[in-house]
Amino acid sequence: MVQKLLQWAGALFVVGLLGASVFALTIVKDRIRVVVAADEAGAGPDPMALLRDDLQTVSRTVDELRMALGGNFERLGAALEERAEARHADVQGIARDVTSVRDGSAAVQHQLASILARIEALEVRVQARGTGVAAAPVAAAEPPAAPVEKPVEKPVDPPAQRPAEQTPEKPAEKPAAKTGFLSFSVPTVAFRFDERQDYVLAPDLCRVGFDAKSTLHDFTGATSKVTGRFAADMDDPAGAWTGEVVCDATTLVTGVEGRDTNMYEHLDTKAHPKITFTITRFVPAEGGVDVGKQTARGEILGTMSIRGVQRELKMPVAIEVDASKRLVVKGQTPLKLSDYQVPVPSQLGLINMQDEVVVWVALLARVQTGGKK
Amino acid sequence: MRAASTVRVVLLAAAALPLASCIASNVVAEQDRMVVRPVASLEFRPVTALALDGLWESVELTGDVAVSLRRIWYVFSAGGSYTAAALAEVDGAPSFQTLSGTWAMSPEGLSLDGAAPVPVEEADGHVRISASTGRVVLRKGALQ
Repeated sequence: MVQKLLQWAGALFVVGLLGASVFALTIVKDRIRVVVAADEAGAGPDPMALLRDDLQTVSRTVDELRMALGGNFERLGAALEERAEARHADVQGIARDVTSVRDGSAAVQHQLASILARIEALEVRVQARGTGVAAAPVAAAEPPAAPVEKPVEKPVDPPAQRPAEQTPEKPAEKPAAKTGFLSFSVPTVAFRFDERQDYVLAPDLCRVGFDAKSTLHDFTGATSKVTGRFAADMDDPAGAWTGEVVCDATTLVTGVEGRDTNMYEHLDTKAHPKITFTITRFVPAEGGVDVGKQTARGEILGTMSIRGVQRELKMPVAIEVDASKRLVVKGQTPLKLSDYQVPVPSQLGLINMQDEVVVWVALLARVQTGGKK
Repeated sequence: MRAASTVRVVLLAAAALPLASCIASNVVAEQDRMVVRPVASLEFRPVTALALDGLWESVELTGDVAVSLRRIWYVFSAGGSYTAAALAEVDGAPSFQTLSGTWAMSPEGLSLDGAAPVPVEEADGHVRISASTGRVVLRKGALQ
């Protein structure tokens, strides 16, 4: 019984408690506000701030990496540029070296040819002294050339005889040295000022003439139709030059047609169309020959032939070598027309030409290769 | 009658004498006696680019090669190839030498067959090419 009473009392208590709760909820339900609040600030770090921090850190890192990478690229570029420049300098150096070697080779070839030429000249002089005939070394050297060829054409000859007969031929078989010039292989021929060589007057590049004085005015007659050749050694004290210069008298012009006609009549160009100067000797002036500078001064002696009359003539000349390795010969000398039986022109006895004229030459002569004597 | 004729001649001569001062002297100056080289008046200037294609013939050779070399001809094609001939004198006898190859112009000059470039200058239809052993002036020609 008591137990049941306690059960009922408990149940009533619970119901009463529940009722009181409902009553209280009814009263305060409008006054209750549920607030969901974040934890207090001091409780932990702000994740957004952390995220911003992280982002800023990452950004700085990226910036640093970018700068570092850019710097590396710059250094890499500079290094590559330096290496390229160094290689370019190397290539240029190699090119210079190649050019230098090529020039050196050409110079050596040039010197070799020069030495060979001098040896040949010495051999000729030695032969000339040996035979005691100075004037005919070439003629003396030529006869052996004919028998030399015979053993070649006759292979049946005894072998023992060949070496002795072939010996003189060897110098003639020397191949000409070559010099490179714009891809061509040019024979190297040294220009020797102090060696006897053959010279040929360059066509149309020579001019000879005369300067005359007359009552009215002075004038020049000249022509470029000049031919000739000569053999000369500027450094030869004996001056044993030979050769001749020929001008076509029918092409002399003075600039006045009527005067030219008179001149041809006076020179009798129909019968004597050529004026010739035959060279016999060169007399160098005292200290007038400079082999190093390739210049010479002196007098050319020879025989002048005008209108078929021959007279000895001396002409002071100045000689030099131009950039094209040609001999430039300039000279002049007075000459009397009457010495050559050329009538001195006169008009009405009042307009007279002087008997004495100045004859001059302006010649360009090139070396005839292989023409050394 | 004869005296009158003589007087006329003398008067004519006397009248002609003053004319003498009107006729200029035509004496060639000593420094002008040499035949003038046609290329002497050309004023060459360096070039780094030049249309070389066509025929060129030498008008002047200077330097050591001039002793034996007489004339040169080049025909350059726009495609970079060339053919050339040189007339040289060996032992008194002229002989031709021919060759073909490639050419190129660069700021340093003309390069033939890949060799080191050589300076090129130009002047009024002419070019001047300088090498270590000589120098050549070429005149533009025409293949006719």
